[in-house]
Amino acid sequence: MIRVLKVIFILFVWSSFGFKGKPYKETKHVGKSISDFSLLNIDRTHISFKTYPNAKGFIIVFTCNHCPFAKLYPERLNALNLKYSSLGVPLLAINSMDTAVYEEESFDLMRAKAMREKTNFPYLYDVTQSVGKSFGADHTPHAFILWKENEQWIIKYAGAIDDNGEHPELANSFIENTLTELLANKAISNPETASFGCRIYYRK
Amino acid sequence: MRKISFTLVFALGLIGMANAQTYQNLWIPDTLSGTTFNLTIKDTIKQLRTGNQTITGGINNNFWGPTLFINKGDVVHMNVRNNLNDSTTIHWHGMHLPAVMDGGPHQVIPPGTLWQPYWEMKNQAGTYWYHPHLHEMSTEHMNKGIGGFMIVRDAEEAALAIPRTYGVDDIPLMLTSRRYNANNQFVSTNVAYGDYLLSNGTSNAQISLPKQFVRLRILNAEIERGYDLGFSDNRTFYIIANDGGLLNAPVSATRVKLMVGERVEILVNLGNDAVGAVLDLKAYNSGQAFGFPGGEPGKSGEFGSLLNNIDFPVLRINVAATNANAITSVPTTLVNNTYWTAADAAVSRTLTVTGGVPGPNSTPFAFDNKIFDLSYINKTLNLNAIEKWTITNSNVFGHTFHIHDVEFKIVARNGSATAVGTHESGWKDVLYLPRSESATFVARFDDYADPIHPFMYHCHFSNHEDGGMMGQFVVNGTTGINNNKEKISFTIFPNPVKEKLFLSLADTKNSVYYITIFNLSGRALMMLPQPEIQKGIDISLLAKGTYLLQLMDKETKSISIQKFIKE
Repeated sequence: MIRVLKVIFILFVWSSFGFKGKPYKETKHVGKSISDFSLLNIDRTHISFKTYPNAKGFIIVFTCNHCPFAKLYPERLNALNLKYSSLGVPLLAINSMDTAVYEEESFDLMRAKAMREKTNFPYLYDVTQSVGKSFGADHTPHAFILWKENEQWIIKYAGAIDDNGEHPELANSFIENTLTELLANKAISNPETASFGCRIYYRK
Repeated sequence: MRKISFTLVFALGLIGMANAQTYQNLWIPDTLSGTTFNLTIKDTIKQLRTGNQTITGGINNNFWGPTLFINKGDVVHMNVRNNLNDSTTIHWHGMHLPAVMDGGPHQVIPPGTLWQPYWEMKNQAGTYWYHPHLHEMSTEHMNKGIGGFMIVRDAEEAALAIPRTYGVDDIPLMLTSRRYNANNQFVSTNVAYGDYLLSNGTSNAQISLPKQFVRLRILNAEIERGYDLGFSDNRTFYIIANDGGLLNAPVSATRVKLMVGERVEILVNLGNDAVGAVLDLKAYNSGQAFGFPGGEPGKSGEFGSLLNNIDFPVLRINVAATNANAITSVPTTLVNNTYWTAADAAVSRTLTVTGGVPGPNSTPFAFDNKIFDLSYINKTLNLNAIEKWTITNSNVFGHTFHIHDVEFKIVARNGSATAVGTHESGWKDVLYLPRSESATFVARFDDYADPIHPFMYHCHFSNHEDGGMMGQFVVNGTTGINNNKEKISFTIFPNPVKEKLFLSLADTKNSVYYITIFNLSGRALMMLPQPEIQKGIDISLLAKGTYLLQLMDKETKSISIQKFIKE
C-alpha cells in the first residue's frame, strides 16, 4: 500500500512538475451586446449599424492587410456579402491592427487592398482599436455574427470563418451554417470556434 | 485468456499503425552562402495536417529558415527584416561575436525594421543555429518555426575525408515536436512537449541516403524534450562534432543523448546495407531516469505528451545506391583542439538552480533565486579571463545550460573529470544538467569587451528561459578614454541622399555605437549596431522622404539626431 502511495505521489510530481506559465485567456464572446460605433470606411464615409436600418444582423470580420491567413479570404468574404446582404445580413470588415506598430496596416494600404481585391463590402479603419476591443477580437481573421434582439446587437457566433484557409472547396463554412440556422429561427449548433491567424496587439 | 486477447489487440493495433504510417520526404532547408545574408522573418502558413493549414512563422520559408554556409574568417553581414506583426530578436547561437550583434533579448527588432549586425566568423567549422530570443516570447516565436542552421566551414574540416555534400551525404536534421489544437494550430502556452514530431518541419520523415558513410548534423530545437538517439538495429555510429565543432577523434557510440539547444554531428555507415534496405534513426526515450525531459508518463497536459516515455522514430532512412566519391571509412583523428583545463581558470564561479518546486508557493526556475531582470547585470567578467563555472542542480528536474559569447569545455561532472562523457568531450555551448547533478566548464572570454551590452546565460528550455531562468554578464575590457560628455556633433552627407549616406564626426575621438534610422512618425526602419560608417550606410531601400538618423556614442551612450532627406 505504501508502495502504491509512493507511486501515486511520484506520478503526481511528474505530471504536475514545474512552474506553470500564464494560462491562455479564453474569451467567451457569444451573448455579448455590442454598442453601435462609427468607423471610417475606405471610401471616406463613416459606417455604423444605423447605416443599415433594415439589417437583421451583421457579419463582422476583423481582418487586416498583411496577415497571410487573412489574405486567403477576400473572395470568400465577397461571396458571403453578396449572398447575405440581400437577406438582410451585410458584411463589415474591420481592421483593428495597431497602425503605429505595423506600417502595412495604414489606411492608404487598406484602400489599395480593397481596390485590388474588388471588395464589395465596407473595410473599416478602427484607428483607436476600440471596436476590436469591444468585440474581443483576437486574431485576423476573426468573424462574428451579430443579431438584432430587442433593439440590441447580440453576438450569436464568434470564431473562424470556416475550417480551411487554403482550400475553400474543402471548407465547412461556420458563418453560412450559423446564418442558415439564424435565418430559419433554429438553435445555433456551433456558436463559438477558435479564431487564429495573426494576433491583434492592443495598445495599452 | 484476457492476457492473450490484450496481446492480440495490441499486435493488431501495431500492424494497423505501421500500415497507416505514410512517410514524407525530409525537407532539406535551402542554402544561402557568401558574406551577405538576407533573412526575412514572417508570419506564414503551412499544410502540416489534413484539414486546415497551420499558422507558422518562417525565415524566407513557411517553417524554419535557410541554412547559412559561412567560411571561417569571413566578415558576415546580416540583413534581418522583421515582417512579423510582433517584435522579436534573432540570436546567433554558438557564435563568438560582439554582444551588440548577438541578438539576445536586448537586440529587439520591432515590426517592419531591418537589423544589420555583422561580425568576423571566428568560430571553427561546425553546426550552429539562429533563433528568436525575445524575453518571455522565445517559446512562442520558436514554436512558430522561426530559426535556421548555420554551417561554418574551415580549412581543417575541408582537409578531412568526411561527407560534405549538403543534402546528399551531409544532412541537417532539426528535431522538434508540436501540439495541435482542434483547428490544427500550434499550441504554444502551457505546453512543454509537442505530441507530433517534426523533423526539419516534416512529419513522418524519410530520406534516401547513399550506401556509404553519411553525416547527420542533428539539432535539438525543442522546448524541453531530450532525445536519446540511436539506430533501430543498434549499429555503432561515430560522433565527430559537438556544438562548437569537430572533436579530436571520432567517438563510437550506439546511443547519444541530445538535449535542447545541443548539436551533434555523427557519421553512420550504410555501406554494408543492401540498396532498398531501411533503417530508422530513433529516440529511445522510454524508461529514462526521473528528470529526463520527455520521460514523464503523462500523455496530455502541460508536462504530458503522446511522445513522452516511448521510443519513436525520428527519421526513416532508405538505403540507395552508392555515390561517386563516397566516403567509405571513418578517419582515426579529426582536428587538434587545445582545450582549457580546470587548472587554466583564474576565476571560479558557481550557479545554483533554484525554484520550480511544485506547490501552492511555486516560484519559477531561476539561478541563485534571481529571476531574470533586463536591467540587472548578474556577473561582470574581465576580457581574456579564463573562468571555471560550476552549475549545481539539486533541484526537481533536468535542465540544459547555455552561455552566449563562448564555446566551453566541460571539465567535470559532479566534481569528477572522469565523469564527463566522451560524447561531450569537444567544444560545447550547451550542456545537459541532469537532476541532482552538477557540471563544471571552463571558457575564455576573449575578443569582445562591452560594458553596455550583456551576454546571456540561461536554461535553453525556452519555457524556463521565458520564466526567468536566465542571467546576464558583461565583459569588461580596457576602453579608450573619452571624457567628452557632450553630444556627438556630426553631419550627414550627401543630404539629400539617394543611395549611400556618410557621416562626418566633428570629434574623431567619438565612436559610433549604434545608429537607428526612424521615419517622422517615430517608427524604427533600420538598426545598425556598431556600423562601419567609413563604408557608408546603404539607404537605397528607403522610400523617398525625410528621416531621422539617431546616433549613440560608444563611451558616453549620448544620443544625437540629424535629419536627412532620401531622394
